[in-house]
Amino acid sequence: MKLKVYRYHKSMEKPHYDTFELEPKPGLTVLGALIQFQQNFDDSIAFHYSCRGAVCGTCAMLINKVPRLACRTQVESLLNGDLNIPLSSYHAIGENVEWNQKEEVLVEPLPHLPVIKDLIVDMDKFFDYYKEIEPVFKPADSTPEKERLMDPASILELELYTNCILCAACFGSCPVDGNDPEYLGPAALAKLYRFHIDPREANGIERLKTADIPRGWWDCKFHGNCRRVCPKDVPPLIAIAKAREQLEKEGEGP
Amino acid sequence: MESGGDNVIVLKSLKHDNEVSVTSTVESIHYHDVIIIGGGLTGLRAAFQISNSGLSGALISKVHPLRSHSVAAQGGMNASLGNVPGDDGASDDWKMHAYDTVKGSDYLADQDAVEKMCREATATVYELEHMGTVWSRLENGKIAQRPFGGAGFPRTCYAADRTGHNALHTLYEQVLNSNFPIYEEFFVTSLVKDKGRCIGCTAIEIMTGKIHGFISKAVLMATGGFGRVFNRSTNALINTGDGLALALNAGVPLKDMEFVQFHPTTLYGTNILMSEGARGEGGVLINNQGERFMEKYAPNSVDLAPRDVVARSIEQEIREGKGYDGGYVHLDLTHLGSDRIMERLPGIRQIAMDFAGVDPIEEPIPIQPGQHYSMGGIDADINGATMLSGLYAAGECACISVHGANRLGGNSLLETVVFGRLVADKIIEDVNSTPEPDTQVVNLAINEVESKIKDVMERKKGANIFRVRDEMTETMFQKFGIFRDGQTMEKGLKEILNMENKFSHLTINNKDLAVNQTLIQFLELEGMLKIAEVVARCAIKRKESRGSHTRTDYPDRDDKNCLKHTLIELEDKNLNISYKPVTIGMFEPKERVY
Repeated sequence: MKLKVYRYHKSMEKPHYDTFELEPKPGLTVLGALIQFQQNFDDSIAFHYSCRGAVCGTCAMLINKVPRLACRTQVESLLNGDLNIPLSSYHAIGENVEWNQKEEVLVEPLPHLPVIKDLIVDMDKFFDYYKEIEPVFKPADSTPEKERLMDPASILELELYTNCILCAACFGSCPVDGNDPEYLGPAALAKLYRFHIDPREANGIERLKTADIPRGWWDCKFHGNCRRVCPKDVPPLIAIAKAREQLEKEGEGP
Repeated sequence: MESGGDNVIVLKSLKHDNEVSVTSTVESIHYHDVIIIGGGLTGLRAAFQISNSGLSGALISKVHPLRSHSVAAQGGMNASLGNVPGDDGASDDWKMHAYDTVKGSDYLADQDAVEKMCREATATVYELEHMGTVWSRLENGKIAQRPFGGAGFPRTCYAADRTGHNALHTLYEQVLNSNFPIYEEFFVTSLVKDKGRCIGCTAIEIMTGKIHGFISKAVLMATGGFGRVFNRSTNALINTGDGLALALNAGVPLKDMEFVQFHPTTLYGTNILMSEGARGEGGVLINNQGERFMEKYAPNSVDLAPRDVVARSIEQEIREGKGYDGGYVHLDLTHLGSDRIMERLPGIRQIAMDFAGVDPIEEPIPIQPGQHYSMGGIDADINGATMLSGLYAAGECACISVHGANRLGGNSLLETVVFGRLVADKIIEDVNSTPEPDTQVVNLAINEVESKIKDVMERKKGANIFRVRDEMTETMFQKFGIFRDGQTMEKGLKEILNMENKFSHLTINNKDLAVNQTLIQFLELEGMLKIAEVVARCAIKRKESRGSHTRTDYPDRDDKNCLKHTLIELEDKNLNISYKPVTIGMFEPKERVY
């Protein structure tokens, strides 16, 4: 098989693609293939990595035109066509790059964030938006001696959102983020919703008002790409729909 | 902060530079009262404490803090909350926690440190809860607890099997909220010493390749473990033991480095961790004969014996031909049913499906033991202070000695948060009486690092760093693995020494300084080879079997000669070994039966 990799750094006029041939062994992931690329082909390739077990969220990139974690994506499955995910189209994935899906894997940086080098993007904007929704626990009462009690049933809904690893795959898949660079994006909104539904906060709709702005809850067009690419099955769409419903009920709105 | 003297320039290069003004011609020198190196649970908990104290602090991490290995911790955090009654309806307390920890450590832990950690445990779990961590809950709404290996009580508080993730995100949220400066993707290159004190460090900004100097009254090392010195490790690729190498090079002793934990259940093929929580929930180990072999090795605790015992048992079964082809056994969860697996172990199910194509609801998981944790580390006292004034250490990179020769599952997350807080408190106390550091020395340190990197970049043809790294990890796993013996280890040490010789000729093809990950891996490897040699020398010298250190040529524990901590330090390029006594408290050493 061949790995076709996007290459760019600021001294270059425009990006190009390097192609590297390797043995597709069972269990080989895209991250594994990139490591082979670095060790055997060109040690100047740049890409982020850490846990290699799909829990830390470092290695999200555009793989065969779908934002995914490189460490979790099996090369064999890609070549077999098992990992095709239909997405609502947007600029970055519409760009015309030729690759033969039966024997090549195309690896590009995560869209909607500036490229620093090769597959490394500047995540500042993503984390700025995350910070903007004030992601910190704001309990309703004063600190008790022991734990606050929580109904185990409430944990199930909370976990849907606490499972987010902030990899930004959703951000890179969102057609709205592609068009409107100011849109807070699915991850920040899902995080905000996580605090809103925490029964220990119980602040009514106060939390939701943080994103009660055109570039917040109301910018989503329900393409659903975020949900399809999330490696942790976080459903920002549901959070956004529920937040809008609750705000509308209170007479808030776009 | 007061300025250092003449020629003061105010720096603007980075947005974090609060109150910076130093004597320097270099525009990349930063002053903070306290520098924390490492952004995992320990570093973030310490940062939160420093931030609240009003001191100026900063955190330096080679990755974004949320990418730290703490995020991967699965099973839980031990604390004697007593939310779940024991077998006979008994209630848990910190003394029972301390006893289990000391027995688990094979009596090598310092009992005063263990006592401190276990006493602080419940407050620590509550504290995270108060900060917003979502813990799994019992029907009555209290924090849920599950049984774990080597524990006499269901004591491990958990958030499904994503406890580290939940705790790390909570602490990151708190630190972010306090606007604590974080230097992300800075790789620390050296500690700076002046007049017998640690007064800061140098670091390479990975994205630009620029060398920065950091001046501070105290440095807290919180860089995590060195698992990647071994192949077959559960650790993140970033766990290269950088902090230990920095301390060693600064003349600070490392302690008990021969004690390396091999986790019994790592996924065959990738060695990703399959939480002990899987056995805590009722999972069982099965060999190729269909036998539940742990009944033979640990008749009372069975599958929930401590990690050293279970790892040895699995390895023994594999050696006797009772493993499957390739060298693994089965971790069977199928009898737990899909509801329990989906509720309590969703993360490991996903990992097993993604990385081994196995759904644990349907079929057993192929597992083998793999390197998991470093009990040893930078020699630090009960307050986290090292032999070098101004340098502190906490978390996995440190050896405050709460784990001794074998760590219990659920005690490492606990250690990170407890000592992240306590050591920060000690720093806050000490910093008040610390003199202003001399800012000139750091310029020399920067020059040294720059010229070292220049030398490396100018090397022409030579061997490639990746091959040497692979050789090292292979040697370490094969010759300093679960079962060790003198002859094999001597051979292993020779191999490591050869690799260290080779290292001075290794080259990097990429000559750009900016975003040069091969250069960073080169610097990591330099430290890892030293750590490998340290582990080798300490292991060869310890002629007994204790906890994780199992010698086939010395199969018994030898309290008469070996109930002592190993210290190793670098003096004039030589590694010298010495020993110091273990602090015994409430629990006299006795035979360890499970």
